[in-house]
Amino acid sequence: MARLGGTLDLQTLILDLQRYWADCGCIIQQPYDVEVGAGTMHPESFLRVLGPEPYRVAYVQPSRRPADARYGKNPFRLGRHLQLQVILKPSPDNVQELYLKSLGALGIDPAVHDIRFEEDNWESPTLGAWGVGWQVLLDGMEITQFTYFQQAGGIELSPVSAELTYGLERIAMFLQRKDSIYDIEWGGGVTYGAVRLEDEREASIYGFEVADVEVLRRHFEDWESEAKRCLEHEPPLVIPAVEAALKMSHLFNLLEARGAISVTERVGLIARVRRNAVAAARASLEQREALGFPLAGDLDIPSGEAD
Amino acid sequence: MATFLLEIRTEEIPAAALPGARRQLEELFSARLAEAGFADFDITPLSTSRRLSVVVENLPDRQADRAEELTGPPLSVAVDANGNPTPAGEGFARKVGLPFDEVGQIETGKGEYLAATVVHPGRPTSEILAETAPKVVVALRFPKMMRWGDGTHIFVRPVHGVVALLDDEVVPVEIFGVAAGRSTVGHRVHSPKAFELETAEGYAETMIERGVVVDPAERRRRLEALAETLASKADARVHPDPELMAEHVELVEWPGLIAGTFDERLLELPPEVVVTTLRYHQKCLILENGDNGLQNAFIGVIDRKDDPEGLIRQGNEWVIGARLADAGFFFAEDRKHTLADLVPGLERLEFHRVLGSLAEKAARVGQLATAFANALDVNVARDQLSAAAGLAKADLLTHMVGEFPELQGVMGGHYLRLEGADEGLWTAVRDHYTPVGFEGEVPDSEAGKLLGVADRLDTVAGLFAVGERPSGSKDPFGLRRAAQGAVKIVAEAGWEVDLNEMIQGAAGAFADYSKDGKEAVADAVTAFVANRVRRWLTDIVGVSGDTADAVMAAGWSNLPAAVVRAEALERVRTSENFRALALAFKRVRNITDGQPDLGVDPELFEADEERELHETTVEFEKKLQTLLPDKKVEEAFAAMEPIADILERFFVEVLVMCEDERVRDNRIALLKKMGRKFMELADLSRLQVEGGEL
Repeated sequence: MARLGGTLDLQTLILDLQRYWADCGCIIQQPYDVEVGAGTMHPESFLRVLGPEPYRVAYVQPSRRPADARYGKNPFRLGRHLQLQVILKPSPDNVQELYLKSLGALGIDPAVHDIRFEEDNWESPTLGAWGVGWQVLLDGMEITQFTYFQQAGGIELSPVSAELTYGLERIAMFLQRKDSIYDIEWGGGVTYGAVRLEDEREASIYGFEVADVEVLRRHFEDWESEAKRCLEHEPPLVIPAVEAALKMSHLFNLLEARGAISVTERVGLIARVRRNAVAAARASLEQREALGFPLAGDLDIPSGEAD
Repeated sequence: MATFLLEIRTEEIPAAALPGARRQLEELFSARLAEAGFADFDITPLSTSRRLSVVVENLPDRQADRAEELTGPPLSVAVDANGNPTPAGEGFARKVGLPFDEVGQIETGKGEYLAATVVHPGRPTSEILAETAPKVVVALRFPKMMRWGDGTHIFVRPVHGVVALLDDEVVPVEIFGVAAGRSTVGHRVHSPKAFELETAEGYAETMIERGVVVDPAERRRRLEALAETLASKADARVHPDPELMAEHVELVEWPGLIAGTFDERLLELPPEVVVTTLRYHQKCLILENGDNGLQNAFIGVIDRKDDPEGLIRQGNEWVIGARLADAGFFFAEDRKHTLADLVPGLERLEFHRVLGSLAEKAARVGQLATAFANALDVNVARDQLSAAAGLAKADLLTHMVGEFPELQGVMGGHYLRLEGADEGLWTAVRDHYTPVGFEGEVPDSEAGKLLGVADRLDTVAGLFAVGERPSGSKDPFGLRRAAQGAVKIVAEAGWEVDLNEMIQGAAGAFADYSKDGKEAVADAVTAFVANRVRRWLTDIVGVSGDTADAVMAAGWSNLPAAVVRAEALERVRTSENFRALALAFKRVRNITDGQPDLGVDPELFEADEERELHETTVEFEKKLQTLLPDKKVEEAFAAMEPIADILERFFVEVLVMCEDERVRDNRIALLKKMGRKFMELADLSRLQVEGGEL
């Protein structure tokens, strides 16, 4: 069953994981079409974890971190990487078991590996969110961030959601035993480098050298005022407000990569993003409540999952 | 005698939380059981990454019966004139559960009263435990708690199973909605199926059969033995690392090891980079050769007995190879330019919002270090010192320090060394962050020490000037550690230099930043540093607090001298004479504080004791003049001892506060003169001695 060094290419990895989580009762969502720094910022995570409605969802999310870009020269770092994000709400009793079985779906047999859950708590100041959990290590390699969401948008969460974030390139690299991300097999004999190298290089040049700081700052202000307008609209426009906050967050990341933010200014800018994210989260909760929490009730969880 | 077992099965508990959890389990259970009247039981807290357990041995089956003497109403009230029980009498009988005839009487000072002995039967131990266990578990506190699922319960991690057995009987408890039973699971890989524990006894042994070592001490023993064997096979030894070992002990249910290697060429990286990657990022044990050199090998701790297909070793080797190659990438990038090339970038790197950039800090530190060098008159090339100050912070702009912040200084040193810089320069840059607080080595080179002290005093003075002072547990800029580091360097370097002047020098640069002025900043920093000095004397030199206070009252700005005086005083103070001197000096202080000092006129002496004390003082002064320049501090303290008797006689025979004003002032002046001489060594009135309330 072990396919180490074998042929599990990136797209099969994704398809296998999605199939597995679909079988566990997850909706398979699509990546969000606004730039985000992490899969958590997708409204399917950030907003769905609020309130009482049960939910299960999985999706791939390209995550942009301009400061981590390395001109395509570093074999381990990317300015944009892929996460597979799973939200299980409420966190089921057998969530660790479900997770371990997902590795089985990738041909990783826990019986012959060392799989560890080591404390790693998560916090997102921009989202007013934090959680408690682990990084999951497979033979010394961090492959997943596992978090029990305690708070999001400044709101205490009950029920609590479990969030699983798979770092897809890392897992692929590890399973394929490649020395560079760009050598990962994407699928059909095409490598990751053939698909992505050029845009990594360009995004690095843009983020570190070209991006116009004044324009970015102005857009930051613009999106802040748009977020505000959406939130002041009667009734508030939740998703547009979240999207505006996400725009702000991405602009902040670009400014930071550009070295344009001082340590002191940083705190203030983060607070401005958070203010909107938190307000949008509140508005979302109120909206769901006004709708009578339509998804409340028992989740249709496939039988046989719990064995 | 019965044995109780409680096992709370959870998801992986943070390693750092487990020692505290075991301690709490032991303390809380012991306290509750003692409250319930149990004694002489043995309690053992146990844990793995996935369970918290406690075993209590030598418990009786039930609590001992408890007799209670109850006194009722007076006989006169309980019985009427005809000798029949009144309602009050009957009421007492009902209360104690006896027919009225069987209720006894006792004679008290106030007359005859009804009385009875009530025996409260002891409750079954199982019942007590069923009440105690949930209370104990709910009372456990962890650094970070969480909720899960429907959010009802709060604990360190979700709870999945509870075993509560008193010998072979289940104790009926429910914890976080989980009913206790006898079913548990073994190791996730080696024995994942649920099974039933027949009895509480032999829990640890049973669990070992199921791939779980529940006793952390046993896990440590096994881990150390395994590491020893592996190392000797590799003809190396394991670098001692008790902290990491302790963490691994908590991270597993069954400790196992794998040995792996990495590409030998990666050893060309600075050893600190290799160690940081292996030790801090991968939690590996480090193998050393006989000569302390690194090997291209590591030992990894795994949570299982074996590596059946070699995949675990392979995986770890791949990760470590990748991480080291990643570090190698950053190292190569950094080497494309010199460290000096990065210096202009320091102008854009903020030291502090108000205090400006690191470039400005570097300039200040350079000047301050040079001033210190001049004051100390040490043999350091001044241009090298300035150069080191200018380059010291440049490595903050390297990729390597961006990736491994803990290697600040170290990387700067390496890059300069590789560029062919003078050893004095690169070691100064390398060492200027150590020691951290009182921990770590003082730099070898004078330049490293000078730079280290200047950097820290600049930081402390600057942040004090802009009001960023530590308060309570809040010390976001690490100012306490910074001041401690400076104190350690000055003390261990033996710099006989005026520390107050150094502080004033550092504060001088910030005169414009503080609304209170330069003097106020210097005073505040001096008081702050004084606290660290006191701590150095008590925690590191090891003298008692009042010895430190006595010595510091006599001056501490020459720190090495203060250390010598503190050590000497700590040794001599146990003698009876010093007890007497301490008491006498409290008296001297009480009498002379606030009084004018008009000088001693021997013509005005009336009593022999006055003359004797004066002669002694003059003699003592002479002794100090020869002893102190030779640093014979202990002899100087010894010279105080005979004065104890003389002072005592003086106070017996001489009334200082006499009628004649001139005689009185003369006596006060005499005491002050003697006090001043003593104050060259210590303020003995600060010593806390028996009888000190006089």
